[in-house]
Amino acid sequence: MEAASAAHAEHHGHMPVANASAKINREYFGMVLFIVSEIMLFASFFTAYFFIRVVQGEPWMPEGQELPVYVAMANSAILFSSSATMHWALEGLKHNNRKAFKTGLVLTLILGSTFLGVQISEYVHLGFLPKDSAQASVFFSLTGIHGAHVAVGLIVLATVTRRAFKGHYGPEKDKHWGVEIPGLYWHFVDVMWVFVFTSLYLL
Amino acid sequence: MAASLRSPGWYRAALWTAIGFVFAFALVVGIRAAADFGVVVQWDSIITVALVTMPIFFLYGIGCFDTWLYWISGRPTKPDDHSDHGAHSWKDYFKVNTDHKVIGIQYIVTTFFFFMIGGLFAMIFRAELLQPGMQFIDAQTFNGLFSAHAALMIFVFMVPVFAGIANYVLPLMLGAPDMAFPRLNALSFWFLPCAGIMFLASFLAPGGAFATGWTAYAPLSDQAPLGQTFFSMGVQFAGASSIATAINFLVTIITMRAPGMTFWRMPLLGWANFATSLLVVLATPFIAGSQFMILFDRALGMNFFDAAQGGDTVMYQHVFWFYSHPAVYIMVLPGFGIISEIISANARKPVFGYRMMAFSLLAIVVLGFAVWAHHMFVAPMQNWIRIPMMFTTMLIAVPTGVKIFSWLGTMWRGVIHLRTPMIWALGFMTMFVLGGISGVMLAVVPFDIAVSDTYFVVAHFHYVLFGGSLFTIFAGIYHWFPKMTGRMYNETLGKWHFWTTFIAFNATFAPQHLVGLEGMPRRVADYAEQFAAWNMFISISSFVLGASMLIFIYNMVYSWRSGPIAPANPWNAHTLEWQVSSPPPIFNFDDVPTVVGHPYEYGVPGARHGIFKEPEPVVAAVAGDSSTTSTDEGEPAPA
Ligand SMILES: [Cu+2]
Repeated sequence: MEAASAAHAEHHGHMPVANASAKINREYFGMVLFIVSEIMLFASFFTAYFFIRVVQGEPWMPEGQELPVYVAMANSAILFSSSATMHWALEGLKHNNRKAFKTGLVLTLILGSTFLGVQISEYVHLGFLPKDSAQASVFFSLTGIHGAHVAVGLIVLATVTRRAFKGHYGPEKDKHWGVEIPGLYWHFVDVMWVFVFTSLYLL
Repeated sequence: MAASLRSPGWYRAALWTAIGFVFAFALVVGIRAAADFGVVVQWDSIITVALVTMPIFFLYGIGCFDTWLYWISGRPTKPDDHSDHGAHSWKDYFKVNTDHKVIGIQYIVTTFFFFMIGGLFAMIFRAELLQPGMQFIDAQTFNGLFSAHAALMIFVFMVPVFAGIANYVLPLMLGAPDMAFPRLNALSFWFLPCAGIMFLASFLAPGGAFATGWTAYAPLSDQAPLGQTFFSMGVQFAGASSIATAINFLVTIITMRAPGMTFWRMPLLGWANFATSLLVVLATPFIAGSQFMILFDRALGMNFFDAAQGGDTVMYQHVFWFYSHPAVYIMVLPGFGIISEIISANARKPVFGYRMMAFSLLAIVVLGFAVWAHHMFVAPMQNWIRIPMMFTTMLIAVPTGVKIFSWLGTMWRGVIHLRTPMIWALGFMTMFVLGGISGVMLAVVPFDIAVSDTYFVVAHFHYVLFGGSLFTIFAGIYHWFPKMTGRMYNETLGKWHFWTTFIAFNATFAPQHLVGLEGMPRRVADYAEQFAAWNMFISISSFVLGASMLIFIYNMVYSWRSGPIAPANPWNAHTLEWQVSSPPPIFNFDDVPTVVGHPYEYGVPGARHGIFKEPEPVVAAVAGDSSTTSTDEGEPAPA
């Protein structure tokens, strides 16, 4: 949607061009603000985590509801490497290396989907359900909401990839926002996982 | 017919809303059948899912997503022909439109529609409270009515109506042709009717409407009948609307100001919406989080608030109030901006302490995040939180006081024109100070504990939200009515509206301080005999208050249809929106004006705010001050 409105801005017809009172790209800035509000959404669930685990002092996790730390660690490595491939794709685009651009995007998609698949299989094999304890509710909510963000990111990146193979985007400054902005969102999803993973699995 | 089912509009919206229901039904029944749950057709689950799918499918049907879906399909982007800009007949207001001026009016009219219904609900339960004992509604209905009253007033009136006014005025004021993201702007608007209708539809749910107040405290809301789900889901849609709009405002304010309009030359309405939008982006996700937890508990059997399973009900209050205290600033900061515009233009004086006004807004944003637990002095939270929260709550009276003194300083020795918007602004100042004083009283822990959950609290927040926020809304609507409609409202009716509302408002809410101090509990359908006399007085006053709104509606409808044609700049104001025709041209400006000075230099000879390229669209940027040429009140001065 960002790229679409960026493209539309070129066709203003008889609409006056808005003055650019700040140097930042509007769509990019909009995404930054959206990410800020997303961070606050995660923060509200971390508040629940904090109150249940720290303020109430409930054990983490309850007896018989252990989390598979090593599986999650491996899965985290997969997700973090997808951030690297995303960065590689964007650099490829900026240096007009379309092969790196496309390969990077495809790799990101594969790694992201693998993460999501492992996460779903983890849910199935955990042996407990969201309703089994407040801790389980927090665990499933935080990982579930994060997973939903990964899924949204994958849908957006799939769209970007499809357009990339159709020859869209370019190294020019106004032609790479359509990749850079979804990329920023993808990095946010990865960074958020650091906090989710650390607080749920490691601590 | 077939074609109209394929193109965006109400037919396609109706079709897709129905498909949304069928989809929810099939999804739930399918999953339950596949997973071998006992009961396959489980209506609570079906309706919960339908509350997600139906609005989203409706939004698709009405046409909110078409351009985005076209882009996602991978086809080359179409040049935007702006065919959906502007409104040519009233029917255009019922379509998805990306013009901020159309969206602004859509917002205002829709929110006032919900305002009238919310007010009607209040009058119904005030009728029940006319006498002690139970007369014609049962306690459950009473609870549903006051809950829906609050939900409608807060989530689909007070918060979004300011977004509506700013939507119309702000891009013009900043010298921008539109908002930064016009399609997102349209989507933000269309979320609102979804939320409002969900609140209303809860009355049809088995077990009645949500009856837990607008605060929906857990675990009560976990265990309440299905109507509660309508509330939580409605809040999600209203919240999404306000976050999207806030992002839009922030990007517009930061990146789309006219050349020369530095932050220190920006009108205070811009500053006010900048501060409000910061609050919305940072705080609104918390109410989304709190309602997600309720929804997860209700729909997925999670245990966020079940103490037996390790859940924490006080946590709900922390998460909820971390949004809902800042929400009171979300509901009043834009009004502060409106009041600065009106007082300065009507007193013909520059805003006194302009920079302090901007800084005090930002101070309120920061402090607003550090006071939430003053709503929880009687909750079983840690005792040590109380005193810091009491201190910060009192501290917040300082930046608010700065604003009051700025308005007084602006009027000091000004040439005051007592037009309707100005009278509302003065009414706001007096009422808001009273609400602020009772607010400082409530910040004091022992006093708060004594009057907690009594009518004193009801009186306090109605002075802040009705006497405060709503008065600024009326002030703003009257002030920009000529700009929005191209016609003048009727001054006499405007003043009648003010005085009837002002008197009836005080008659309704001032006595509530007294019965509250005597211990009459709020949110109860019946009360002790000793409160009977005051309650009859309050109820009758509230009916007068309700009736006074009819004067406003009549004035608006009549003046919009056949009021005298408005000049471009009836108030001789300097800000940019008054320098274009009334109503403004379809793209606001032929060329974006250049800002060369401060927006409020009334009475300063030769002062200019914006200059337009030749030929000037309507009027020369106000050269010098023409306040002396203004004629009597009600007679707009020639531009
Ligand atoms: Cu508060």
